[in-house]
Amino acid sequence: MTQTPVLRIEGMTKRYGQKEVLRDASLSVNEGQLKILIGPSGGGKSTLLQCINFLVTPDAGRVWLKGEEIVRTQKKVLYEYRQKLGMIFQDFNLFDHLTALHNVTIGLVRVKGMSKQDARDKAVYELERVGLKDHISKYPAQLSGGQKQRVSIARALAMDPEVMLLDEPTSALDPELISEVLTVIENLRANGMTMVMSTHHMGFAREVADEIVFLEDGHILEVGTPDKIFLNAECDRTRAFCSKILELYGSA
Amino acid sequence: MEEVLFIQHDVIPALWRGMIVSVELIIPSALCGLLIGIVIGVSRVFGNAFLKTLANTYVAIFRGFPLVVQLFIWYFGLPHLGIYLSPYVASVLGFSLCSGAYHSEYVRGALLSIKRGQLLAAQSLGFTKMKMIASVVLPQAFRRALPGCGNEIIYLIKYSSLAYMITCIELTGEGKIIASETFKYTEIFLIVGIVYLLLTSVASWVLHRIENRLRLPGFDNYGL
Ligand SMILES: Nc1ncnc2c1ncn2[C@@H]1O[C@H](COP(=O)(O)OP(=O)(O)O)[C@@H](O)[C@H]1O
Ligand SMILES: [Mg+2]
Repeated sequence: MTQTPVLRIEGMTKRYGQKEVLRDASLSVNEGQLKILIGPSGGGKSTLLQCINFLVTPDAGRVWLKGEEIVRTQKKVLYEYRQKLGMIFQDFNLFDHLTALHNVTIGLVRVKGMSKQDARDKAVYELERVGLKDHISKYPAQLSGGQKQRVSIARALAMDPEVMLLDEPTSALDPELISEVLTVIENLRANGMTMVMSTHHMGFAREVADEIVFLEDGHILEVGTPDKIFLNAECDRTRAFCSKILELYGSA
Repeated sequence: MEEVLFIQHDVIPALWRGMIVSVELIIPSALCGLLIGIVIGVSRVFGNAFLKTLANTYVAIFRGFPLVVQLFIWYFGLPHLGIYLSPYVASVLGFSLCSGAYHSEYVRGALLSIKRGQLLAAQSLGFTKMKMIASVVLPQAFRRALPGCGNEIIYLIKYSSLAYMITCIELTGEGKIIASETFKYTEIFLIVGIVYLLLTSVASWVLHRIENRLRLPGFDNYGL
């Protein structure tokens, strides 16, 4: 018997004017899996991730969470569905007027309707988990990039999501700060979090991904295990992209 | 000696009365204007097409019509429709509606300065649009709009002097009456001017206090 994927998308399509930036993309993610999206800039990775939780409205495409189709036109269904998907953005998108602590509690209080005290306890726990115990009362402007990204991860995790979507979570970070964020993501994976992540960090992708998805010009051109994609890609485009990235960043 | 007595017995009480009326015009107009500005500003940025058009039209009209004309319409025009407003109410209405239109420009600019990413983040957490505006957008936009809105309030203090045109006798009105009785235009209006200067100074001081109060890391004039 095949297990029901936690998240399944079918035929995702998005056009901006004449330009098709996502064409008929389909994907399914099983419990505890980490899928990594790779591909050139402008290939549609962010668009795909944002279509999954309907931050971008796709022109066509269907989504199922734990076997249940999401009817995005029903506002209540949409808002509840979004709570179940945590999203991490390239440039953190913390709320600038709130401390690290309140960045995490605001969703718990305003969306989940939790009491302030419970929200605080939960937020402190999540911030401790990402190693920010000593920074909870700092404002985003007082945090480093790596710390900001970890706050945003804590903010998403506090909502108890079923799936995490991560859009190039380390691309805006200075090199020395990348590993602190990748370590957090690896821990999530070890704890069984289901994730879809886009990244240019091939070393990381190769080491921890269950499956790699190569996306170019809005097409999913190839899906496979890291070994297959990096060593034995069937598609020329995939091979060309991987060797170019290896050239640029080394094999690390 | 006569001069001193005249100032003590006639000028000061009249101008004091006028100033009280001015303050009574300014404070509610400033608060209502700000509220209108926020509602209109939010509608212009986050409203649906209908709301946007409505709000834009509002701003076009209330910024386009001279304020005196607006006051005349509220005071002399509405009675034709069977609505009679006192000079005071007509003035507060006129000032609030007009300054609301100006405030909405500052609010709109501030709303547009909030990075789109933060809106996406709020939506990804499951915020409804209304909750997102209330808990993420407005607290930040308010801080950014404050200098502009403060400026508009200072301006309001001065254009509140138009109320006497529809017989709401405030500071300028009282000054004009005494001046025309005594022909001491220069002296009287110099004093009137100084009182306005005092009012605007107090208002700037209060606004500054509020700005400092709301100051947060990352919002402190870009670190300057
Ligand atoms: N709001 C938008 N309007 C018009 N074009 C857009 C918009 N967002 C993205 N695009 C275009 O869609 C394509 C895919 O972008 P994106 O999903 O950000 O790619 P990636 O994340 O892989 O770099 C790009 O060509 C980009 O210019
Ligand atoms: Mg991108």
